[in-house]
Amino acid sequence: MKNWYHSWRAAIRIARRDAWRFKGRSFLVLAMLALPILGVSAADLTLRSADLTAAQQLDRDLGRADARVSDPHMGGVPLMQNPEGDNYQPVKSYDDEPWPEGEMDVTTALPAGNESLVDSEGTAKLRTTHGLLSTSVRELRAADPMAEGIMVLDRGRFPRASGEVAATDAFLESSGLHVGSKLTARGFDTSYRIVGAYELPDSLNTAQVNALPGALLAPLDKALAAAELPGTQMSTTYLTSVSGDAGFTWNMVKEANAKGATVISRAVVLDPPPDSDVPLYQKEGASDFGGGSANATELAIISTVVGLAMLEICLLAGPAFAVGARRSRRQLGLVGANGGDRHHIRAIVLSGGLVIGAVAAVVGTVLGIVLTFALQPVLEAFLGKRFGSFDLRPLELIAIALVAVVTGLLAAIVPAVTASRQTVVASLTGRRGIRKSSRVLPVLGLSAVVLGAGIALYGSTASDQTMIVAGGSALAELGVVALTPALVGLFGRIGRWLPLSPRLALRDAVRNRGRTAPAVAAVLAAVAGTVAVATYTASSDAQAEARYEPELPYGAVAVLSPESAADVPSMREDAQKVLPTEVRADVDRVVVGKKSCSSYGDGDECGRYEIVTPKAYECPLWAYGETDEDPSEKFSKAERRKLAKDWRCEQGGTGLGSVGGEILVGDDKLLKVLEINNPEASEALANGRAVSFSKRIFTPEGAADAGKGGAKGGAVAAPKGGLNGTIDVRVVSAAQMKEAESAGESDAEKQPGTVKKLPAHQFSGSENAYGVTVIVPPDAAEKAGMTTVPFGSFFTTEKLPSDAQQQKLAGELDKTGSDPWLTIEKGFVPENSATLLALAVFAGLITIGAAGIATGLAQADAEADLKTLAAVGAPPRVRKALSGFQCGVVAAMGVVLGSASGILPAVGLRFTERRAEDLMYARMMDEGWSSGEEATAPFVPVVIPWETLGVLLVVVPLGAAVLAALVTRSRGALARRAAI
Amino acid sequence: MPDQAPHPVLQLKDLTRVHGSGATEVHALRGINLDVFPGELVAVMGPSGSGKSTLLTIAGGLDTPTSGQVIVENTDLTTADRKQIAALRRRSIGYVFQDYNLIPALTAAENVALPRELDGTSARKARTEAVAALREMDLDSLADRFPDEMSGGQQQRVAIARALVGDRRLVLADEPTGALDSETGESVLALLRSRCDAGAAGVLVTHEPRFAAWADRVVFLRDGAVVDQTLRSQADSLLTGQAAER
Repeated sequence: MKNWYHSWRAAIRIARRDAWRFKGRSFLVLAMLALPILGVSAADLTLRSADLTAAQQLDRDLGRADARVSDPHMGGVPLMQNPEGDNYQPVKSYDDEPWPEGEMDVTTALPAGNESLVDSEGTAKLRTTHGLLSTSVRELRAADPMAEGIMVLDRGRFPRASGEVAATDAFLESSGLHVGSKLTARGFDTSYRIVGAYELPDSLNTAQVNALPGALLAPLDKALAAAELPGTQMSTTYLTSVSGDAGFTWNMVKEANAKGATVISRAVVLDPPPDSDVPLYQKEGASDFGGGSANATELAIISTVVGLAMLEICLLAGPAFAVGARRSRRQLGLVGANGGDRHHIRAIVLSGGLVIGAVAAVVGTVLGIVLTFALQPVLEAFLGKRFGSFDLRPLELIAIALVAVVTGLLAAIVPAVTASRQTVVASLTGRRGIRKSSRVLPVLGLSAVVLGAGIALYGSTASDQTMIVAGGSALAELGVVALTPALVGLFGRIGRWLPLSPRLALRDAVRNRGRTAPAVAAVLAAVAGTVAVATYTASSDAQAEARYEPELPYGAVAVLSPESAADVPSMREDAQKVLPTEVRADVDRVVVGKKSCSSYGDGDECGRYEIVTPKAYECPLWAYGETDEDPSEKFSKAERRKLAKDWRCEQGGTGLGSVGGEILVGDDKLLKVLEINNPEASEALANGRAVSFSKRIFTPEGAADAGKGGAKGGAVAAPKGGLNGTIDVRVVSAAQMKEAESAGESDAEKQPGTVKKLPAHQFSGSENAYGVTVIVPPDAAEKAGMTTVPFGSFFTTEKLPSDAQQQKLAGELDKTGSDPWLTIEKGFVPENSATLLALAVFAGLITIGAAGIATGLAQADAEADLKTLAAVGAPPRVRKALSGFQCGVVAAMGVVLGSASGILPAVGLRFTERRAEDLMYARMMDEGWSSGEEATAPFVPVVIPWETLGVLLVVVPLGAAVLAALVTRSRGALARRAAI
Repeated sequence: MPDQAPHPVLQLKDLTRVHGSGATEVHALRGINLDVFPGELVAVMGPSGSGKSTLLTIAGGLDTPTSGQVIVENTDLTTADRKQIAALRRRSIGYVFQDYNLIPALTAAENVALPRELDGTSARKARTEAVAALREMDLDSLADRFPDEMSGGQQQRVAIARALVGDRRLVLADEPTGALDSETGESVLALLRSRCDAGAAGVLVTHEPRFAAWADRVVFLRDGAVVDQTLRSQADSLLTGQAAER
């Protein structure tokens, strides 16, 4: 043991000094090993620092208060909650009744003798220098000691009077306002002065304004209601401190729960009660609420990525150690002559890996820590969150750093074994003896390829498990890497037909597989990964393109505001001003109740409407009868398959036409924008008739009781297009909705609301209506007594608006402070083209890097050959040409092998997916589910990404060759003394 | 010089070495017999390709003979395994080559200490021994210099110090003066001679008669066989019987 230690010390000393002597090579390897360590340790440090402890998180949420008591809007019924306060439910079960709803007075749930602070939050549209900005308004006495830590004052002070506000830096930045500015809100005359700037440590990017309780939200709400604008949606919680050291105990929490409030308590979160004391867990089981356990898939992915990265680095760094060992061949021979055993030689070469790995570990970790520390403000801004503390975890950092040491050692193993097998005499005399390559590696590699390919083949032909294909492919890939030396040998055979320089380069590469093979394998691995991902994404893109359904005709634009009707006129103007629009079709939407109701129908005084499908036209697979039984159960598989394609069960088209609800109020211009050229429909609209694009809702004149027995599965003829008739619209007011809810059991026969009949025309054309169900002309809507509000406009354009125009319009629309929809139909835009490009660049860089390293090594070895060449009269450019070809040969071998072994797994994966989708489709048809895109037969194409392949196969090797030729001096250095 | 019949440090018995086989067969050594005793310096001379260097590599266990025996300090190298031979090189045999004898990454003292350190001696003890060896040869001023900070002659003298550090008693020198000017060469040979006079055994391969004159005995090789031998002084002759008969 002791002997072992002393001889290793000598080995490490030699390796350390050698690393210093050959600084260039050492630096290259050092950088390769240290960079990943830098990145990972910095990431670890950042994530750990940004990941707050429970106590730190509570400081930011509660300030110095003991607890936050909130109203969960359950009408004050007794609740039970988990200790963290993020999960709760009523004590009583409401299986057969509607879930309780309604506000409560939280103050009644506060324990006796508490001190509390109101913390209310709502949203307001504030006027900025650019327009309107939807901003969170928080009413909290932030200067109170109890609130300390929730908001951190940056400049100025927190508000002291009701006319003052403070704002977050994020708000000031995006609003263009500053401390001292006046602030006003839309729909409200009062102005406020900004007296301070603060930040929310947990949410640096949130635009928020702070005011004293009652100073802003309540008066604003009142003014908004008067102007029929959406309110502030205010919600209020109470920060509470209780007397005594125990804080807000679990018993107090349970008492507050009994009164219908939920609590986040510092004492309870930091020291949670046993599960047996948590009624919620007793009822539901604690495991339902337990935190996520370590995700096995995630772990597998991370270890695969780390493993591949280590393999890649080993393959890149390995040749550097090999050339180091080769250059110090004589030195190793001397060690042998002085009694150095094979293990001493191995130790010296391995020590090279150990020394550089250790230095890389230290350098990478230290730089990672220093950079994270120096860039802390930038990182915090990026994460939108202040660090809790600078959280150094020595064990984790050491573990990360050890990866560099291990990688360095792994990279040096093969060169070490090779060097130790050299005889002392061969080392001393500098004979370059060609070693027969080991037969074990190719056999192992071939076995792995066969086994892996077999598994992948099984996976892609007989199973729908992508993991099997991926695993098999990975095994086969490793096998190809192990086979690389043998495959490189095969390339040598084409040498005899090549001219001098490439022939020399190829022969040299093949004869020195020790350095060629790792470089080729490094290229292979990177290219295989890239080609696999590229093939897969190109295929997915093709699939997405085939499935793509346009929202509007190509080039058409829609600007719609489902929420605020008041902003619509200015939106229409903006769009017309910014975009090259031609036809403008204004559309309204139908509201039931106040004009400020959104198209989502929420709000206390908002009702809803629906178009009634005649009973006979209901899809038998969906039509629930008297019982709760699934209607599709009544049919056989064959019947379901047939019905799934019946016209009654077809889904409407997709597109923007369905955004505002089933009814769009508009005129003939809308047909023009949607490119529907149907004179009958235009005439119908002009005559005050609605145009129906769905056969299921239309009742032709004189066919009041269309098609009997349909719901029982019998075939029913579809109403013909081009006829006139009616459609029924059921309008349900807010009051009727409430009445129906309180009546309980919804009776299918007795649906609430009143049904209005609209004269209609059934569309006879075959054009895509882009999701529109019914177009109702404005006069018809008025005649039927429906309230309409402006919804937005559809436009045709002279030419497709540019990205700049789109961004400009989006900016203009943002200034209104509402949340409008802007859609410009640009056809299918592949999402992955940037990914493909990035991947190709990545693989290209690795290829050039690996080929460059291999070329450097080859040049070091080829000095003698070059001298001989020069002696027999070869011109100086031969050196350049040779170097270029050496680089090109390595790159070419790598990309050819890599492309071949990358396409196969991707194709395998696609086949597996095709199988999975086919199975899913068959099942859907059997069950009679036919909704959306799944209803069409699956289309899973395999597309070879020829551009990426072309770049990799042609451009990259050529580029590598030219680059190597350019950086090689045509005259060699003066004959140096043979280095030892 | 020992008075009673001493035991040879190196014995070569019927040594043959054949490189290659069939058409490429080369007989590098043909039946060499040679004993080298403590205190003796034997010069081996001969033209290029006569087998001088092969003789030296086999004598030090860097190469194995086709037949015959190599016995160093009573150990038969032909039957020893690779580890034992390596250990023997650490403890008994020192090599000096024509040039670049020293490991560039190590100082003079560390180079001398290397065999001891490889043998498991602690760095401190090995260094003490190395510095002592250097001092004995008046080289202690070089102890902390790296090879590229020394002249060629200094490097060769440090290499001789390394060849004899610790208990090593056999120096195998392959043209140690080949890369030096004649004056420096003489000083290196003088050092080698003095070490042999102090009790070491030395084998010196050279093709310069001038340097061979430092030896006690000169063996001439041609085509792998001993063709002649000269005694520097018949009275001091320690030739073996077999060698003398030829």
